[in-house]
Amino acid sequence: MACVNPVPKLYRSVIEDVIEGVRDLFAEEGIEEQVLKVLKQLWETKVLQSKATEDFFRNSTHSPMFTLQLPNSLHQTLQSSTASLVIPAGRPLASFTTAELGASNSSAGFTLPGYPIHVPAGVTLQTASGHLYKVSVPIMVTQTSGRASILHPVQQVFQQLGQPSMIQTCVPRLNPCSLQATAEKSQRLETVPQQPPILHSGLVHRKHFENATSDILVPSGNEREIMSEALLSQLESSQYISVPGVMFPPQVSQTGSPVEPVLSVSAGVTQNLNGGPLSTGRPGAQHQHMTDTQLHVLKNRMFGCDSLKQPRNTEETSSLPVSEKESSSQMDLSNQVTDDDINEIIQIDGTGDTSSNDEIGSTRDVDENEFLGIVEAGDLKVLEEEADSISNEDSTANSSDNEDPQIDVVEEDPLNSGDDVSEQDVPDLFDTDNVIVCQYDKIHRSKNKWKFYLKDGVMCFGGRDYVFAKAIGDAEW
Amino acid sequence: MDADSDVALDILITNVVCVFRTRCHLNLRKIALEGANVIYKRDVGKVLMKLRKPRITATIWSSGKIICTGATSEEEAKFGARRLARSLQKLGFQVIFTDFKVVNVLAVCNMPFEIRLPEFTKNNRPHASYEPELHPAVCYRIKSLRATLQIFSTGSITVTVLKRKYTLPTPLDSEQGPT
Repeated sequence: MACVNPVPKLYRSVIEDVIEGVRDLFAEEGIEEQVLKVLKQLWETKVLQSKATEDFFRNSTHSPMFTLQLPNSLHQTLQSSTASLVIPAGRPLASFTTAELGASNSSAGFTLPGYPIHVPAGVTLQTASGHLYKVSVPIMVTQTSGRASILHPVQQVFQQLGQPSMIQTCVPRLNPCSLQATAEKSQRLETVPQQPPILHSGLVHRKHFENATSDILVPSGNEREIMSEALLSQLESSQYISVPGVMFPPQVSQTGSPVEPVLSVSAGVTQNLNGGPLSTGRPGAQHQHMTDTQLHVLKNRMFGCDSLKQPRNTEETSSLPVSEKESSSQMDLSNQVTDDDINEIIQIDGTGDTSSNDEIGSTRDVDENEFLGIVEAGDLKVLEEEADSISNEDSTANSSDNEDPQIDVVEEDPLNSGDDVSEQDVPDLFDTDNVIVCQYDKIHRSKNKWKFYLKDGVMCFGGRDYVFAKAIGDAEW
Repeated sequence: MDADSDVALDILITNVVCVFRTRCHLNLRKIALEGANVIYKRDVGKVLMKLRKPRITATIWSSGKIICTGATSEEEAKFGARRLARSLQKLGFQVIFTDFKVVNVLAVCNMPFEIRLPEFTKNNRPHASYEPELHPAVCYRIKSLRATLQIFSTGSITVTVLKRKYTLPTPLDSEQGPT
């Protein structure tokens, strides 16, 4: 496989550094910590959305390896369950049987194929990053791409679901077997397959769909993870998010890099589970807060036009590409100017070339005289006067004014009449979105051969971001 | 001194330099940021804009004076200058295409024979100046035509004419034959 992608880590570290750096300032200003968290949340969401980096939440290992550990007790359950799981990626469809696994404690590793995998209840999944997820409800696991597509499944799921389900407080349960629920994925939601979501490794989002039944199951070994209250209140209106049976085993060590895995899960569960954002109780709360707010955000999104709409929701939807943010925060660029700036800029160069009216008049005079027989003296004076008046008026001439033909030296036509003349054949040959934002060591040109010696840059190429410390380029214009 | 022979000689215009004015102040920074194919030389206060179609390079000053070089004929120079003014117009400046003037035409031609420079210089005293230590060519000036010719010993000649509506072959016509 390709070597580790440094970009997500870098972006993560940038986000962390900035947030840390700003924390004090925020405190000084009297802005609460929550705002900072929201900011971080928004930022990360935008990075995700921009698809600028792949596997933004993924850990250092980028292969979505899953290790299945089957607890003994589940043997029977599994066998009885109709669902199954695929281990080898090559096999079509999820058909995994305990038999394949062999012993009850057996574990197998596999890479998530592109399509959703149905995971029966009771299976413990361990991502390559070491995070353990115990599946308490039959769920569907798909590979996410880390974009905002996390949200999409939810939204789509919602749409498909239609009716809001009831919300109940979730009771953390440890024993996955106790899930009744649920339905065996009879309700499989198609949404997820549409997106190619990514597996994230730290934060776990789960959307859990439940059909009608009653019990909720949020088996999470850590109660902290489930905060129902907040969710519940929001869920009132229509839909909900639930973080279904996934738990964070306490021993999960969040790796230093704040990369979090995300499992996008949909399952035919009946009730609303409220997985709630993983809680505050957890140590290393930062991530939790993040997930907390992220979940909130997700919910907000799902609720769309409901009362839940919050300002940050809208903020998120209309966002700048994160890559820009990243680059601006990272790069030291002096040449970013908005349109306003351009208009207000006082030009400080070009001072060597004065353009006073008198001078124009006089030079025109000289020039005119040199034209042999082109311009007569009388016309010349007229031209001069008009020239002066024009420059005074700040001529609007372009459009075919009557004055223009006279102002323009004899044979000149107003520019617009030369429309056919002026149109560039290859106007914007390739108005690409591929951008490089960087600093330069040297830019050299000979005739039409260019050489670029660049440093410390971020490239947005094909929608993805790449970071470099040094770059050398050659081009022909 | 025979006009017919000039026609047989292949004289090729390689560069036409022209100027024109836009009659309006140009914000170089805006051109540099928004224009296509531009090079901003902030230290000297000008913007170079290169065009592909008539291959020309234009030097743009903020005063609105523009020098346009690289065209291969006078018509093309004018065409390119208008295109350039048009693109400036598209950027939002109120340009008027005025004072178009071809200032310089550069052409090269090749004599089918070699030239003995020292003798040539001796025979063409007032017009020719030759300083071999400075430059390997004889600099022959025709004041009436405002033409400067650089004559190399290989027989290739570079003609530069300050354009005043003179046709190019003329300097060659009046030139004395090789000795």
